[in-house]
Amino acid sequence: MLSPERLALTDYEYLAQRHVLTYMEDAVCQLLENKEDISQYGIARFFTEYFNSVCQGTHILFREFSFIQATPHNRASFLRAFWRCFRTVGKNGDLLTMKEYHCLLQLLCPDFPLELTQKAARIVLMDDAMDCLMSFSDFLFAFQIQFYYSEFLESVAAIYQDLLSGKNPNTVIVPTSSSGQHRQRPALGEASMLEGVEASLFYQCLENLCDRHKYSCPPPALVKEVLSNVQRLTFYGFLVALSKHHGINQALGALPDKGDLMHDPAMDEELERLVVRSRLHRTSRQHRAQEPGTFGFHRRDKLEAPERVPSASAPTPSPYRWEPRESCLVSATPLGPYLLHELHPRPQKGLKS
Amino acid sequence: MVNCGLHLVIQTSSLPEKNKVEFKLHKETPSFPGRLLQHDLERNYSSRQGDHINLVSSSMPSFPILQRSSEEKILYSDRLTLERQKLTVCPIIDGEEHLRLLNFQHNFITRIQNISNLQRLIFLDLYDNQIEEISGLSTLRSLRVLLLGKNRIKKISNLENLKSLDVLDLHGNQISKIENVSHLCDLRVLNLARNLLSHVDNLNGLDSLTELNLRHNQITFVRDVDNLPCLQRLFLSFNNISTFESVCCLADSTSLSDITFDGNPIAQESWYKHTILQNMMQLRQLDMKRITEEERRMASVIAKKEEEKKRESQKQSLLKEKKRLTINNVARKWDLQQHRVTSIAANQDRKDSDSPSQDPCQVDGSTISAFPEETGSLDSALSNALQGLSVTDTHLVEVDGDTLSLYGSGALESLDRNWSVQTAGMVTTVSFTFIEFDEIVQVLPKLKIKFPNSLHLKFKETNLVMLQQFNALAQLRRIDQLTIDPQGNPVVSFTLWKYYVLFRLSHFSMQKINGTEVTQNDMIMAERLFGILAHVASSELPQYRLISILGDARKKQFRYLLETKGKKPGVVSEENNDSKRLVGENTNRATLNYTTRDFYNEKLEEIKEKKKFCKMYIEDLVKEATEINMKNEALQKLWPQMFIELVRDAVIEIRNKSSYMKLCLQQITDQK
Repeated sequence: MLSPERLALTDYEYLAQRHVLTYMEDAVCQLLENKEDISQYGIARFFTEYFNSVCQGTHILFREFSFIQATPHNRASFLRAFWRCFRTVGKNGDLLTMKEYHCLLQLLCPDFPLELTQKAARIVLMDDAMDCLMSFSDFLFAFQIQFYYSEFLESVAAIYQDLLSGKNPNTVIVPTSSSGQHRQRPALGEASMLEGVEASLFYQCLENLCDRHKYSCPPPALVKEVLSNVQRLTFYGFLVALSKHHGINQALGALPDKGDLMHDPAMDEELERLVVRSRLHRTSRQHRAQEPGTFGFHRRDKLEAPERVPSASAPTPSPYRWEPRESCLVSATPLGPYLLHELHPRPQKGLKS
Repeated sequence: MVNCGLHLVIQTSSLPEKNKVEFKLHKETPSFPGRLLQHDLERNYSSRQGDHINLVSSSMPSFPILQRSSEEKILYSDRLTLERQKLTVCPIIDGEEHLRLLNFQHNFITRIQNISNLQRLIFLDLYDNQIEEISGLSTLRSLRVLLLGKNRIKKISNLENLKSLDVLDLHGNQISKIENVSHLCDLRVLNLARNLLSHVDNLNGLDSLTELNLRHNQITFVRDVDNLPCLQRLFLSFNNISTFESVCCLADSTSLSDITFDGNPIAQESWYKHTILQNMMQLRQLDMKRITEEERRMASVIAKKEEEKKRESQKQSLLKEKKRLTINNVARKWDLQQHRVTSIAANQDRKDSDSPSQDPCQVDGSTISAFPEETGSLDSALSNALQGLSVTDTHLVEVDGDTLSLYGSGALESLDRNWSVQTAGMVTTVSFTFIEFDEIVQVLPKLKIKFPNSLHLKFKETNLVMLQQFNALAQLRRIDQLTIDPQGNPVVSFTLWKYYVLFRLSHFSMQKINGTEVTQNDMIMAERLFGILAHVASSELPQYRLISILGDARKKQFRYLLETKGKKPGVVSEENNDSKRLVGENTNRATLNYTTRDFYNEKLEEIKEKKKFCKMYIEDLVKEATEINMKNEALQKLWPQMFIELVRDAVIEIRNKSSYMKLCLQQITDQK
């Protein structure tokens, strides 16, 4: 209560900054929404449940996008919920298109905007053809960066653009709109001879940005670590590096480490129970005797789809078995695609529209 | 051949009678004419003088001259028979100007000659010769019977002066065309059997013709017969007539009473007899058989049936065509609409609202306004005919056996109609084409009630783009089969869509998806992929959210029930059972529902409003609270000092004990 931060702000500002107001507003809003039902079991009970679910991160399930993105906690909760619900898809080894991932997102948030999914896919696919298939983990980590640091990345893009065109980055103001202005093709000049921007200069700008930025940004130390590995880098190179960075994932705290991405023993147990129940249910309903336990069924759609694995990771995992195969899904080096990208620079790849 | 001869005989009964007599006579004296001729021939050669020399020099070197004894002349003054005399030319017949009948049957005559002086001739028989052209007859103005059968004539010609011709026999020649006969207004019998005619026309002017024999030609069509006012008998046997249309002029003849078609392709047709009878009411004989009243009745019945069938099939094909056109139209509209939707979306994306040029509502309006003409009950007809079709321009509703097909969004309104119990019970397949899935979602409750047996749903061009859209199907009673055509349904390109369908609609225990049998492994896979989602959705949602989400679905149902209440109480109670079952069976999935985009946007708007209010409310509350808190803090800050001051004052007051006591006592007494 008497932290120095708290003293620097008025009470109201403090509550707003900590998003307490957001939750209070939302709680009242929910209360209004379901007046009749809630009045039956008590308003105190409702508030208890509400704030409990906020703590557990289950409050964002099936909510509207404006609420889901309202606070960092909500974003992290959503990421976690997405991982928990669709981990099985990744575990099964399915490679999906951007559109299909978007559909999965929409199962949890009906009005989830396509734009965000597209941006996340762009990180994975390096701005390539957007119809390519992606592995679950590639998409998830890219999506995490894009979704959680959405506003930060907007600003970074603007800075990067300015650096590319040779402007003084210190004059950069945080962009107010999410319009795609930063995605213009860089002007042909000396900068375009060498791809990307110089890492150290870029870092200075980012450090400055992190100080000023009112939205959440990745820890500056980790950004520094990412940028200190290379001389020059492109915007997408940077994003890929962020998405693959172990520490940033940990700092964010929503998802497990890449190696443990497919592990969720409690849920697996639950799932086994569900499967057995459904099987019993079905056989009791229809007496279709089929040998259980074999999963060698035909995945037609998969075979038809172009097997283009975008990143350096994952030799196409065979989708016919159920055992966890994280080793296949996780790329050999954390910065694999990123480094590859640096070794084989494609001119003006970074901000191509 | 014999036949036609017979007809001819019957017709010209008076004359051949004499002919026969003559024939007999001729037989009695077989050598006489021959000898006579021989003699004449010799004589002719010996003396080249006389009346005929000129004639001989002009055309042929020599002609036999015929002369009869005066005895014979007296006996058969008006007839002369030169049958089977091996004549190659016509002999000169002298002094026989009164001849009325002349017979050259069975000779080898190639040219008609030397008879122009026989101007009283009535009957001329040149049957079975080798004549190639009709000629030399121009002076025989009183000729009434001309028999030229079995010759080599190629063309009907040079008959101009034979105006009183009654019988003309040209059978067994090589005539390919009927011509130059229009002046023969007294002709009663014309025999053109066994020629090379390919068709019949040019029959104008034959005003007295009663019999026309055209057997054994190659006739394919007949015209002008209706211009023959007296024609009673027409023989067309053994020709090449194959349709009634090619002889349809016969139907217009009022006099025709006897006709033959045997030996034509047309006579093989099943419709032959009744079509002829139906179209030629005046007919008494067909193919030599008398037509009975019974036959005529039968024919008219069959013809009526035929007509009906034809009309029906015509109607069917018309409807089919109309259907095709309508579907095309709907498809075009759909394409247009799809384009429009995307362009509007693009507009919104660009955020420079150029005010969309077309008002979408207007388009929708016209779609709807085209409908009401057809809400009547065509239902009774439907149940009878098994096939109903109602067509308007913008949509199409079709019931074909067990399939209800809906094309275009307007077709959805047909679900409001009063479908008969039979039709509704029969329909097990419902197919949607060119309709937004979101629009379909809104009528699903109706579908469930109106077509309780619908087990197979088909979607084509319905804009299924998201997995969550399948959630909407869960509210139906039962689905055995689901067919999602990839055309216009991008969701089908997804890897997981089938599993999601199986997962979300697991309570239906579906048999087939897109024609492929669902196996138990599929079901298990679906559970493995999405089971956690359901688990999370049901077990981790806070209670109030669960209630509100399930409540939404229930409320929707309730709203619909209110709308249909009072119509069929049985259905309503069933409905209740149904929702109970749904809840009981599918609790962990029921939270996964689908609200159409419009409805969802509406809801978002509502939420926005509420949020605005909540924001203000909370802001006020929090400000009030922080103010109180601030005052409280200020008080807290002051309080220690205040307390000390208070204590000090108290201590000072009671320092002098006795004076304080006095003071207290004073106060007490004052109070009393």
